[in-house]
This record gives sequence, structure tokens and C-alpha cells, in this order.
Amino acid sequence: MPELDLNTALPVLLLLTSLVPAAVIFLLAEEQERPRRIVNMAGALAKVALTGVLIAGVLRGAEYEWRRALLPGIDLVLRVDPIPLLFVTLSSLLWLTTTMYAIGYLEQGERRSRFFGFFSLCVTATIGIALAGNLVTFLLFYELLTIATYPLVVHKGDRKALIGGRAYLLYSVTGGAVLLVGIAWLHALAGPVEFLDYVPLAGLVDAHATSLTWIFVLLVAGLGVKTAVVPLHGWLPKAMVAPAPVSSLLHAVAVVKAGAYGIVRVVYDLYGLALAQELQLLTPLLVLAAVTIVYGSLRALAQDDLKRRLAYSTVSQLSYIVLGVGIASLAGVTGGLVHLIHQGIQKVTLFYCAGNLSKQLGVTRISQMRGVGRRMPLTMGAFTVAALGMIGIPPTAGFVTKWHLGLGGLQAGQGWVIWILLLSSVLNAAYFLPVIGRIWFLRPEGEEAGAPTMERDHERDPWLVLPAVATGVSVLVVGLLAGAPLSPLNWAASIAGEVVGS
Amino acid sequence: MNLVLWLSPILVPLTVGAVLTLRPGRGTSWLLAAAPAPALLLAVIGPVLPAPELPWLLLEPRLALDGVGRVLLALTALVWIVAGVYARSEAEQRGGYADWWLLSLTGNIGLLLSDDILTFYTAFVVMTLAAYGLVVHTRTVAARRAGRVYLVLGVAGETLLLAGLLLAATDAAGLRMNDIAAAVAGSANRDVIVGLLLAGFGIKAGVIGLHIWLPLAHPAAPFAASAVLSGAMIKAGLVGWLRLLPIGEVALPGWSQLLVALGLATAVLGVAIGLTQRSPKVLLAYSSVSQMGFITLLVGVALAAPEVAPVVAAAAAVYALHHGIAKAVLFLAVGLLPRTGAGWRRNALLGGVVAAGLALAGAPLSSGAFAKAWMKQAIDLALPGGNLTRLASLAAVGTTLLMVRLLGLLLRTQPTPESSTAGGDRSRAAARLAPWASLVVAMFALAPLAAPALLPVLAPPTASSLLREALWPVVVGVLLAAGAALVQRRIGVRVPEVWPGDLVVLGERVVAGTARGLRAAAPPIATAFSRATAGPQAAALALGRTDEGIDRLEDRLTRWRTGGAMVALVAIAVTAALLLPDLTGR
Repeated sequence: MPELDLNTALPVLLLLTSLVPAAVIFLLAEEQERPRRIVNMAGALAKVALTGVLIAGVLRGAEYEWRRALLPGIDLVLRVDPIPLLFVTLSSLLWLTTTMYAIGYLEQGERRSRFFGFFSLCVTATIGIALAGNLVTFLLFYELLTIATYPLVVHKGDRKALIGGRAYLLYSVTGGAVLLVGIAWLHALAGPVEFLDYVPLAGLVDAHATSLTWIFVLLVAGLGVKTAVVPLHGWLPKAMVAPAPVSSLLHAVAVVKAGAYGIVRVVYDLYGLALAQELQLLTPLLVLAAVTIVYGSLRALAQDDLKRRLAYSTVSQLSYIVLGVGIASLAGVTGGLVHLIHQGIQKVTLFYCAGNLSKQLGVTRISQMRGVGRRMPLTMGAFTVAALGMIGIPPTAGFVTKWHLGLGGLQAGQGWVIWILLLSSVLNAAYFLPVIGRIWFLRPEGEEAGAPTMERDHERDPWLVLPAVATGVSVLVVGLLAGAPLSPLNWAASIAGEVVGS
Repeated sequence: MNLVLWLSPILVPLTVGAVLTLRPGRGTSWLLAAAPAPALLLAVIGPVLPAPELPWLLLEPRLALDGVGRVLLALTALVWIVAGVYARSEAEQRGGYADWWLLSLTGNIGLLLSDDILTFYTAFVVMTLAAYGLVVHTRTVAARRAGRVYLVLGVAGETLLLAGLLLAATDAAGLRMNDIAAAVAGSANRDVIVGLLLAGFGIKAGVIGLHIWLPLAHPAAPFAASAVLSGAMIKAGLVGWLRLLPIGEVALPGWSQLLVALGLATAVLGVAIGLTQRSPKVLLAYSSVSQMGFITLLVGVALAAPEVAPVVAAAAAVYALHHGIAKAVLFLAVGLLPRTGAGWRRNALLGGVVAAGLALAGAPLSSGAFAKAWMKQAIDLALPGGNLTRLASLAAVGTTLLMVRLLGLLLRTQPTPESSTAGGDRSRAAARLAPWASLVVAMFALAPLAAPALLPVLAPPTASSLLREALWPVVVGVLLAAGAALVQRRIGVRVPEVWPGDLVVLGERVVAGTARGLRAAAPPIATAFSRATAGPQAAALALGRTDEGIDRLEDRLTRWRTGGAMVALVAIAVTAALLLPDLTGR
């Protein structure tokens, strides 16, 4: 190894905090529960600590970059830029809560060694995607993510899980291949291109505008598969057969978020907002997002299976981010970026709660959720807050997003966006409010009128309850303290200032 | 210190909510009545200290309290305090009730204190959603139905409102209420925004056509909750109109005429439908609709004359104060009557009903007489020479009739058996009525006290004008009622009851009737019709069927063969792309 400077080593260390646990866990025997727990939690905590160091450093003005030659002319680059830092922070925090949750959820489960090994690999890939300084590095980790997630999706090993895994794999591999075509074409045209270096592409506009447009289409199509943009979303509702911790991570940070994050980086850091506007790429993106938002909500409305409803809700909510990407104004960019965080904490909470319901009460369908609020008040309280966030009810995080996206749309002269947002809010209300009503205002099944309340002993396990409550509270805190200096909103707004200014 | 003064009206109810969740029971439930006290304190001592700035919270909330705000805050706090005393038993019976109660209270106070649209909207939404818990508290079929209608209209109202706020905020210099009102006045989308705000707040205020939830929801709640719904929360729509419409900025004659017409229609129809009701609580709910009509009318008048708009707005606030307290007195009395044994306590309650009824009708020396006198002066100032005031007097005749009818219904109610046996403890029963009695006193005192402070430009009404203007509608009303009673005794006509929730039921009946007719005439169309109109279940079913179709399609896409083909195709494209450098010569 050459000189080990902390500034170059930090991005790699960040990867290693989950890569090393992955290796150790694979080597541990199935029944070595305690060591596995310690390794898992130590890795997750170390990652959060390192992220804290990164943030402190970036606030001081330090720059972190690690670079090695991969192929002639192509470097492997890990670099901490503003948008990556936002995503890394979300990933490491939610990995910590989800690890905790997974430990509680899979207690006495089968194949835990395999599960936690791939779980850690999955997070390694996500961090790699976050820090990738160019498209090739991005693609490398993007494909690693596909592979590392497959064993998690099929974890149960039954027929349904295999079907879900197959759908996931087919879509992802195809999407990855399309992405590869786009990247290859771009390299053929412009040579090696790094994020946040707009010069090579800007020089090509006059001669190769059509090529650039097609490359953009390919890149977005490839990334759109993981982002579950309609009509490329079909795998997501099938993949929700995965265990609850996997669904949580899949829907909030790892897979779908990696796609959305990729679109964010392609538009803001590769093409740049100005070039994307010049090539008129944003309006089609906006239309795509609008269609997805409405379609996802409509489909969610018809589901009785709780996790399926949540999955379609993800389809819809992820495109809020894409919608923000398509809105070229300060508030619009802010709204899209901040929803990277907001959608993450809201959806992760909902899936934790869905998992708790099915594990503790055996409840998986909405029609079985009568009066569960009285049996699991903490979990269902978190669920309620997160669902209100999805609708965009103030003062939750979701409202902050909705307000900025709407304002941004109007500022950018795309006023129709607010009608989409409001329609989506109404649809969200239509599929979340009745669930909330069922939870709190209906008598549990089998309980007679006036009978004493049923036993409330379902919230004993802190490993299961704590993550849900923590993220649920964060949905409220992030909304209530949106004006605070280090809030996601202010963070996103400062990035948006750079994006729009550049 | 000013932080404590300004934030405790919001934080104390939330804290009480936490306490009551952790330690429910008789020992703590009195906190329900204490929770609004800080708000009352702030309203009474007024903004002697500047509002604190809180840049780190939400999106920089701003707090402020002007004269109109003080009057409405005092009303709100007072009604919530007294109703809180009577909400204790429900809160002790079922966990959760206190939480909904206190969240609604927090929202109600928050929207009066807020001076920026985000805080205002947050408080408004919190109040609306939390009050659902009050409406459906009894869990009866009627309460559930009322809750559904309430929630659908509540969400619709909030959505319209958010659209209006977003459109207005785009052009605004800031997010303060004044900035928004100014931006609305100058916006290119002015009419769209005004329409959205009118409709969004109109739902809360019960403007005719948008009122349909109100006669269902207000009576469905326990009586203490009805009192705060009809006495305090209903005024949120007025607050929104006064703060956010470009009142005082620009004259909008078209919108003004529409609002005045809607206000009159609301006042008249509220009385007309209310008169046919057999349930005292439903009658009172329709009376609220009718009274909010006067307030809507005043907002319309304010929109016509920017230069005197502050006076008209203040008159509306005074009217809201008078109506809020009187309506709370009535709802509480209606709830207390069956729980109180016969004897002097029953007579005291009925006396209070008569007093509040006379006040609503605007009888001389009552709060209503003052409120109406100021209202008429304000109207004359804004629209000189119009005959709106005369129409308002005519409507007072209707209100008198409605109140006589209420008294008639109440005289027929019998105390429930357990209340008369429990009524043995006389001193406790008297103590039970004391908070309500103090509200009756406040009803007489507050409007005449608040009005001169709020409306210094108007001359206080003289005794003779009070007599001349206020007496005849009441006398005519009573005479009409007596005549109607006489006719009814002689001939025995029975006026059929208009279904509570008129238009909702009408819609349901029209659908059902059409379906019946079609079944007789054309069975195939009937099947399609019933499928299309059978409500949410059918919609969900239809969606589910489409859903299955789409699922099958998606299944086909994820078969190995289809997927394999897709991968192969892309692989070919990849190869082509890799050959591309050779082709382009790079």
C-alpha cells in the first residue's frame, strides 16, 4: 500500500466497515449467534461513527478521494461529494437500525449466517454506489448490489420467494445491461467522464446532441428499473416476499434508492442541470415521474396485502424524487433531494411495523388489522406517523417534501405538477387513512363489546420495537425541525443551491 | 418569559396529553379543563410581550395576535375550558379520547396564534384530523358514517387549501399571512386562489353545499365535543378567510356578491332544514350552519369594500364570539338535560337554553343584540343604502322560530332513570352545573365588552335602537311559532323531517331510487349502474379486477423465457455498443 493518508483512506474504510463484517460472518458458524451480533452491531456503529467524521471533515472543508487505476484510462474512484454524503448518511443510519431490527426479526430463524453475510455485502455495495466518483465505479457496485441482494430476496426459499427472486433478477440484470450500453456509448463518445466534471459533455453538445440524448435515455432506463419507474416496476411488488428487514432496506436505502440516486447523479453531476435543460430531457422525465406517481398510488389502493400496498406506495413515492430531479428550480431540486432522506425514513418505518405485525400477531393483510393499535400501541404509533408522512400531512417529513416540490414546480413554470402532487396526496390518504382508522378505531376481532382490553404483551422485544419507534420519531423530528441548521432540508437546500448555480 | 407566554398555549395541551396517556383516570382528567388556560391568559393580557422568533423550528414559525385574534382566542379557550369539564367522563371511560381532544385543542389554538401559512396549515390539519377521533368516539353506526363523511370532506378541504396556498406562496414576498394576502391580491391566478381558499375554508365554515358533513358530525360526537366543534372549531374557516383572502387589499365585487348570496342562502336554508328536525343536537348543528351564514355574509361584505374591511372583519369576530359561546351553552345544556334530574337544576338548564336562544335571535340586551347591531353598522358602512340589514333581521325571525322549536323539543326530553337516582347528591350536582352557568354569564358579558375595544370607530348601539331593531324579529318569531303550534294542534299537519345530512342522504337516495327504477325497466343497465355507484367497495372491487389483469401481464413479463429474451437482446445491444468505437473511429 502507498502512503496511508486519512483523507484518501476514509472512503475505503467506510466500505470496509461492512465488507469486513460480511467476510467474518460468512466464516462464523450458523449457531454462533453472539459473535455474529457483536460483529454486525460493531460494523454498523463504526460506519455511523465514520460518517460523523466525514461530515465534520466536509464541514471543515476537507476533501476525501481515493483513486486507483482499474483499466487503462479508467480509474476506480471513490469520492465524497455533497450529494454522496447525503446518501451515505442515510444509508449508514438506516443500516444501523435495520441491522438491529434484523437481529430481532430473525431470532431463531434459519440460514442466519448466509443472511447477515449478504446483508452486509448489500450495504457495502450501497456505500460504493454512493461514493462512486465515475460511472464505471458506479456500475461495478450497482451490479454487486444486484447479486448481493438476490439471496436476501429468496431467503425463505419457498416457491413464492423464488418467483419473486426471479423477477428481481431478470429485471435487474436487464437494467444493468442497458446501463452498461449507455456507459459504453458515453465512453466511446467522450472518453472517461467523472461526476461533477461537466466540461467533456458540454463540449459535445453541438456535434453529438442526439447521441447525448440517447445515452441519457439508456442511462435513465437502466437506472429506472431499480427505481421502479412505470413500466419497469413489475419486479418490486413481487420482491416484497423477502423478510421484513430486507424489504425495509430494499425499499428505503439499498436497491430502489440506488436507482433513484443514480438518476439524481446522472442529471445533476454528470449532465448538469443546464445541459439537461438544453437537451430538453427534463420534461419527459417529469411526465414519466408523474405517471408513475399516480399509477403506483392507484395500484396501492387495490391491495389488501399490507406489504404489497407498501410496495406500490414505494413505486409512487420514489418518483417524487424523480419528479424533483425533473423540476429545474431551487425548491424543486431541494424537494427531490430531501425526499431521498424522507422517503427512506418513512418507508423503513412502515416496513418495520409491517414486519412486527406479521411476526408478533401473524397479521399480514389490512383486513386483519382491526384494533391492532391497542395491542401494539408503540409500533402502530410509529406506523401512523410514517403513513401520515406518506400522505404529506404536516408536521411530518413528507409535508416538507410536498411543499417544496409544489413550490418548485410553480417556480419552474410547471404548475401542473401541483395537481399531480395533490392527486397523489388524496390517493395516499385514500389508502392510508382507512388503515389508520382500522388500527385505532375498530374493535379487535373476537373481542366482545365492553370486554377488557386484550393482552398487550406483543412489544417486549426491544430489538424489534426500538428501530420502528426511532425511525418513526425521526419522521416527526425531521419535519418539526426542518429549519434547524443540520436538518436534511437545509442540507438539501445548500446542495440545491450548487446544483442550480452550476 | 415571552417564550413561555407564547408557547405554553400550544405546549401545555400536548404535555397534558402525554400525562393523560401515561396516567389516565379520575385523578388527572381535570387537566382537560386546565389545558386551555394558558391560551386564555394570553388572550386576556394580550401581546404585551413580542412574539418569539423560532428560526430552527419547522419552517420558521411566526406567531402573532391582533385584536381579532385575541377575541377568537378568548372564545376558543373559554369554550374548551368549560367543555373540558364535561369531557372528563368520556376521557375516563376510553383511552385515546383525551388524546384526540387535546390534539384538536392544540390545533385550534395553534391556528389562531400562527402568523405564517405553514404553521397555520399544520395547526389546521392537526385539528381536522384529530377531531375525527371526537366524532367517531361513540363507535355507533351513525358516528362512523358521520366520521367517514367528515374525513372525506376534511381531506378535500385541506387539499384545496394546500393548492391555494402553494399558488399564493409562489409570488409572495414571504410566508407571513400578510405577505400571502398581498400576493393573492396581485397574483395572476387571483381568482383561482380565491376560489380555492373560499372552498377550502368554506367546508370548515359549513357554507351551504359544503355543509353536508356538519349536521352529521356535530351531533354524532359526545355533547362536550359537539360544543367545541360548533362553538370553537367551526370558526377556523372564518380565521382562514380573514387572514388569507385579500380583504383590505383589493375590492373583489364578483366574489363579494357570491359570498353574500351564499351567506344569505346558508342562513335561510340552515333555519329551514333545522326547523324540520326532531333531534335537538341536529337542530343545533343546522342552527350553526345558519349562523355561520351571517359570518360568511360579513366576509363577503368585507371583500367589497377594502377601506372599511378591518371594521367588517372585527364585526365578524364579535359575531363569532357571541355565537360561539351561545352555541356552546346550548350544546352543553342539551347534553346535560337528560343527565340531570327534575327540579330546579332542570329549570336552570332550560332557563339557560331560553337565554342563549334569545341571544342567538338577537333579543334586546343579549349578546346577540350587540353583535347584530355592530354587524348592521359595519354593513351600512361598507355597502351604504343596501337592504342587506333588513334581510338579516328577517333571518333573525327564522332563528327565533328555530329556538322556540328547540325549547319545545327539550321540554319533551325526560331525565334518564339513573341520573335522577344519582342526583341525590345535591351539592355535587350543583357543582356540576357551575362551569356551564359561568359560560351563560360570559355570554352576556363578553360581546358587549369586547366589541367597543375592537370597533372604536363605530358608535355603541343606543338602548332605543337596540329595542327598535332587535325586538321585532323576536316578537314576530314567537308569534309565528305560537301560530304554527296552534295550527298544528287544530289540523295536525306534520312537517316531514329533512334527513340530517340532507345532500349526502339525498345523493344516496337518488342513487338507490335510480337503481330500483332501472331494475324494473332495464335489468342489464341496472347491474352496471349499481356496480358503478355502490360506493367505495365496488370501486375497490373494480380496481381489483383491473389489478389482476395487470398482474397477469406483469407475470408474463417475468417468465424465464421473456426475461431471457430481454437479456439476450440487450446483450446484442451491448456488443454493438462495444463495437461502436471501431465504427466511429475513436
